[in-house]
Amino acid sequence: MELLHALVIDPIGAIADNPEFLLEVVIGGLLTGVMYSLVALGFVLIYKASGIFNFAQGVMVLFAALCFVGQLQLGMPLVMALLSTVAIMIALAFVIERVVLRPLVNQEPIILFMATIGITFFLTGLGQLVWGGDVKTLDIGLPKDPLIIGGVLVNEFDLTAAAVAGLLVAGLALFFQKTSIGRALRAVADDHQAALSVGIPLKTIWVIVWSVAGIVGLVAGIMWGTNLGVQFSLALVALKALPVLILGGFTSIPGAIVGGLIVGAGEKVAEVFWGPAFGGAIEDWFAYVLALVFLLFRPQGLFGERIIERV
Amino acid sequence: MQNGKTLGEPLLEAREISLSFGGVKALRGVSLAIRRHEILAIIGPNGAGKTSMLNVVNGFYHPQQGTITFKGETRRAMRPHQAAAQGIARTFQNVALFKGMTTLDNIMTGRLLRMKRGLLWQALYWGPAEREELAHREAVEKIIDFLEIQAIRKIPVGRLPYGLQKRVELGRALAMEPELLLLDEPMAGMNVEEKEDMCRFILDVNDEFGTTIALIEHDMGVVMDISDRVAVLDYGRKIADGPPDAVRADQAVIDAYLGVSHG
Ligand SMILES: Nc1ncnc2c1ncn2[C@@H]1O[C@H](COP(=O)(O)OP(=O)(O)OP(=O)(O)O)[C@@H](O)[C@H]1O
Ligand SMILES: [Mg+2]
Repeated sequence: MELLHALVIDPIGAIADNPEFLLEVVIGGLLTGVMYSLVALGFVLIYKASGIFNFAQGVMVLFAALCFVGQLQLGMPLVMALLSTVAIMIALAFVIERVVLRPLVNQEPIILFMATIGITFFLTGLGQLVWGGDVKTLDIGLPKDPLIIGGVLVNEFDLTAAAVAGLLVAGLALFFQKTSIGRALRAVADDHQAALSVGIPLKTIWVIVWSVAGIVGLVAGIMWGTNLGVQFSLALVALKALPVLILGGFTSIPGAIVGGLIVGAGEKVAEVFWGPAFGGAIEDWFAYVLALVFLLFRPQGLFGERIIERV
Repeated sequence: MQNGKTLGEPLLEAREISLSFGGVKALRGVSLAIRRHEILAIIGPNGAGKTSMLNVVNGFYHPQQGTITFKGETRRAMRPHQAAAQGIARTFQNVALFKGMTTLDNIMTGRLLRMKRGLLWQALYWGPAEREELAHREAVEKIIDFLEIQAIRKIPVGRLPYGLQKRVELGRALAMEPELLLLDEPMAGMNVEEKEDMCRFILDVNDEFGTTIALIEHDMGVVMDISDRVAVLDYGRKIADGPPDAVRADQAVIDAYLGVSHG
């Protein structure tokens, strides 16, 4: 009876009493979800173009944020620091292609996955070595005041973050749909052999997707970093991208976006209304449980293609 | 030979090619020349090594032994990107299109190497890249007209019937304006009408653009009709090579197709 109260009656009651509050929680969650979407997007880009599960995506977010905030602290102007960090991420893509991907071409996916674990350790170490291991506050003057819109409380920063993420996604969509290089990227994602046969240079494509993933990581890193400070736990937050990917499907860009939003909103609502029943801190594991349930019922993800085993 | 054209010197010469996968010997010392402007048919029973041979020519497979001479340059193995850049285009036995993309976009990918500026450059300067794109669109529209697929220009190819997919795949290869066109069973799974259309396209390409064509085909009627020369593979070996009529009468070929045991 007590359990029934804690799991059903109390939360539903709380929601019914104050529906505006639910809306606030959902909106807050959606805006966090945008961050998850960005990280997941980086994963999907690399996975689609090269079949590599890039374990290092989370660290790329951290590394980009570290380079950015580090250069700011050295007194570099904002725009300069931004451009230089973009340049660093592109250079990183070149190095990864040359040193890691090219020698390992045609290896088993598991080997490439291990290689990305190697990249993770390398970037963690390099970041720490160059920029130090302390928590850095990042403030690039993004507005942070709470706003009341139609009786609902929203955070101005969250809105900005969502707008930036939206612009980024729209820009990427244009890039993929409207340029010949975007067409080449889609071709590689669809069929490697056929792409090779028309002479699409895989090496160039890899450099481009890793660069784009790095830049998406930078945007995510700036947003996260502004919220939480730039520190090593950023790389862990990025692990939330895994349940997002399971929800959205590993190869679907819309899936990454919708999956991120669902996880973000879902875990906030669960925390606020069902948290007390579990003694709190649901937020940390809710996404993984959601992903597990999803794996049972729809293993290909929301937008993934149905997997039918050939026998 | 269906017309009186004279065959040129070899455009590509594969010498003593041997290729194996673990214990499976897919090719055993095969030498094969493809001459300028000809239509060469490669035939043979299932598993004879026909597809493997095409894969060696365009660089998907790297043979353990042998050399390949293409346009006068001799190599141990081709590489796919290099093969494409030097004018070798191909289609696949199991249609390999970009399923999510439209017919138009699929054929446009064939133009990538013809675009003057590299991919990276295009990523940075969209304006001029767009102008160049338009010029290539014109070339692609010509191919679409030629293959009579105007009606499906904007349809994602994954939704097209198999016969049309094969045609789009030919279009993508033609968009590369290749010197050597490799076709792996271009008519497999087609009905009689579709086969006739495909034969006509192949002959027209060869005739109008002088494109050298090497094709794999199981339908003997088609082979006898359109090819200038026939090479026969069996168990990784070349057992015959010559004009269609001579090959058809060859005892070793007849035995291979009847499954007579190999000495
Ligand atoms: N990538 C590969 N890995 C392992 N074995 C292969 C590979 N490609 C081809 N083979 C083997 O090489 C041999 C020749 O195959 P190939 O595909 O070249 O035959 P084919 O003449 O094209 O046959 P089909 O008419 O059935 O298409 C077969 O035994 C095949 O199993
Ligand atoms: Mg074959």
